[in-house]
Amino acid sequence: MATVTRRGRANLIALPILIVVGVIWIYPFLWTVSAAFKTQAGLFSGGANLIPDQLDFSNFERAWVNAGFDRYLLNTVIYSVSSTLIELVKAALCGYVLARYEFPGRVLLHRMIVATLFVPVASIIIPQFVLVEQLGLLNTRAGVILAMSGSAGALYVLLFTGFFSSVPSDLFDAAKMDGAGFLRTFRLVLPLAKPIIAVVVIFQFVSNWNEFNIPLVFTLAQPDLQNLAVGMLSFKGEHAVDWTGFAAGMTISFAPMLVVFLIFQKYFVNGLAGAIKG
Amino acid sequence: MVAPIDQVAPTTPPVAPSQRRGRGARPRIRARSGPSGVGASENRERARGLDRLWIVLFLAPFLLLYLGFTLWPLIATVYYSFFDWSGMGPIDDYVGGENYGSVLTDDLFWLAVGNTLLFAVATTVIKLPLSLIAAIVLTRTWLRGKRIFRTMFFAPLIIPVAMAGLIFTYLLNPSNGALNSILRDLGIVERSFDIFANRWSAMLAIVLVSVWQIFGQYMIYWMAALQNVPDEIYEAADLDGATEWQKLTRITLPMIRPVAVVILLLALVNAMHVFGLVVTLTGGGPGTSTYVMSYYIYQEAFATVPFDYGYASAAALLFSVLAFILVTGQGFFVRRAQRVRDEYGV
Repeated sequence: MATVTRRGRANLIALPILIVVGVIWIYPFLWTVSAAFKTQAGLFSGGANLIPDQLDFSNFERAWVNAGFDRYLLNTVIYSVSSTLIELVKAALCGYVLARYEFPGRVLLHRMIVATLFVPVASIIIPQFVLVEQLGLLNTRAGVILAMSGSAGALYVLLFTGFFSSVPSDLFDAAKMDGAGFLRTFRLVLPLAKPIIAVVVIFQFVSNWNEFNIPLVFTLAQPDLQNLAVGMLSFKGEHAVDWTGFAAGMTISFAPMLVVFLIFQKYFVNGLAGAIKG
Repeated sequence: MVAPIDQVAPTTPPVAPSQRRGRGARPRIRARSGPSGVGASENRERARGLDRLWIVLFLAPFLLLYLGFTLWPLIATVYYSFFDWSGMGPIDDYVGGENYGSVLTDDLFWLAVGNTLLFAVATTVIKLPLSLIAAIVLTRTWLRGKRIFRTMFFAPLIIPVAMAGLIFTYLLNPSNGALNSILRDLGIVERSFDIFANRWSAMLAIVLVSVWQIFGQYMIYWMAALQNVPDEIYEAADLDGATEWQKLTRITLPMIRPVAVVILLLALVNAMHVFGLVVTLTGGGPGTSTYVMSYYIYQEAFATVPFDYGYASAAALLFSVLAFILVTGQGFFVRRAQRVRDEYGV
């Protein structure tokens, strides 16, 4: 009984603080969603007010049709999904081999991956640009995807290496006894790495969704291929006064990520922990 | 006492394996060590026959992309930095150290370096302790509504950074932004102020918006670190009648220390990438006073005609060296502090 009341008291102190901080925290979201329904005049005079002066759906139409949000959204989805897949595959394959096999240069490769873990992307974007240009992929979707999935991922290789190293060797011995070859053994242990896969997918998807520098630089001459983050910028230039349209576009773009987020939410919290305990 | 971290954390994501053991005299690069690492090296075998082909195939995707987009760019950056090159035509105008000379005497470069380091340190100092506190609070078993609060703090992660910047330019604008109108209504300020009119307040805005945006990610890192601590230790502490505060300072914090070092490194390095927020919040302004390194490189290389890849490469390289010194130096001090603590058994 004593513990129950102590818990109750702790909640009584913590909850109000958390609610106040939390509401301030998500205020920019609430403001954006509410601005999406406001008229220009209502937004201008509204200040911090969250209640729209009226429900004006024309903002959504403008954002979707005129400002090209449909295109930006499509590009963003394509970039995020493909880059995440490439990241995942290359990291899983490389991590598996690094963990399982001894081959010439393994230690060197491992060291180099660790060493380049902390290279700031911004500082090497020029040669990446030149490379993509020479491949003839500048201002194409493939170029953006390549650059996005090429420049990250060292951390994920280390994650997979760590995980596959911790798989009990009995398992591999048993697989060998059963006559499983290289590929079948890999397919056998890959499902065990689900927690790592979840973590890579979540982190890489979020970071690809938010990516700004690479899409900006690699689509400078082809605005049609911009993602949401970069497209917003041109929106600001061309339609400097249309804040409600912008807010509507933002509101539309929240939706898919919110869905991904809610579906994977338990992995956000438990995925990492699952990677540790599972 | 601290050894179990190795056992339960073969794969903590924010933790580069080499850094996970904060202590120990073994080679640091080896992925595995400690009690649970027994099976590790036994897992590894020499490849035979057809397996060799598979190994090559499995390594190829990563290696190709790694060579193309990480290793070669690093080398090429060094190479370009010795040439006057606009990106078009052959690279044949060798200028020796001239690019370096003009970068080093460019006040804007040093301003950008200063701002980047300031930003990196300020965001790290603010976000790490706060997100740790949030992670501790939101993992308490007694707390109600954990899931809702976690979602609230994660939420900004789903907004692209650049879009967050645009939202905040409106919220913070002096004429009808939310911040000014609230402060006016509450009578805290008499007249509206433009937070972006001054270098320091503009930097502060960039720092705070960045912390707001990335907060959830670091909260996740800390939560993972916290879950690494085996429950048995807390149970044992409970039996000994330890208070919550004692458990926090004597068990939790020491146990997550090795992970904390890596989170710190990640925070610093990631902060040095800052780009989208600067573009959308201040555009480097007022004037050029909030230039950061990535924005400087972008302007020199892609946005200001004539493009100057050589010059920008030299700047990028100099900055990377500075950043490297900062990060490794910081790692050095942390390690030393840990050794000192180890000696006293804290």
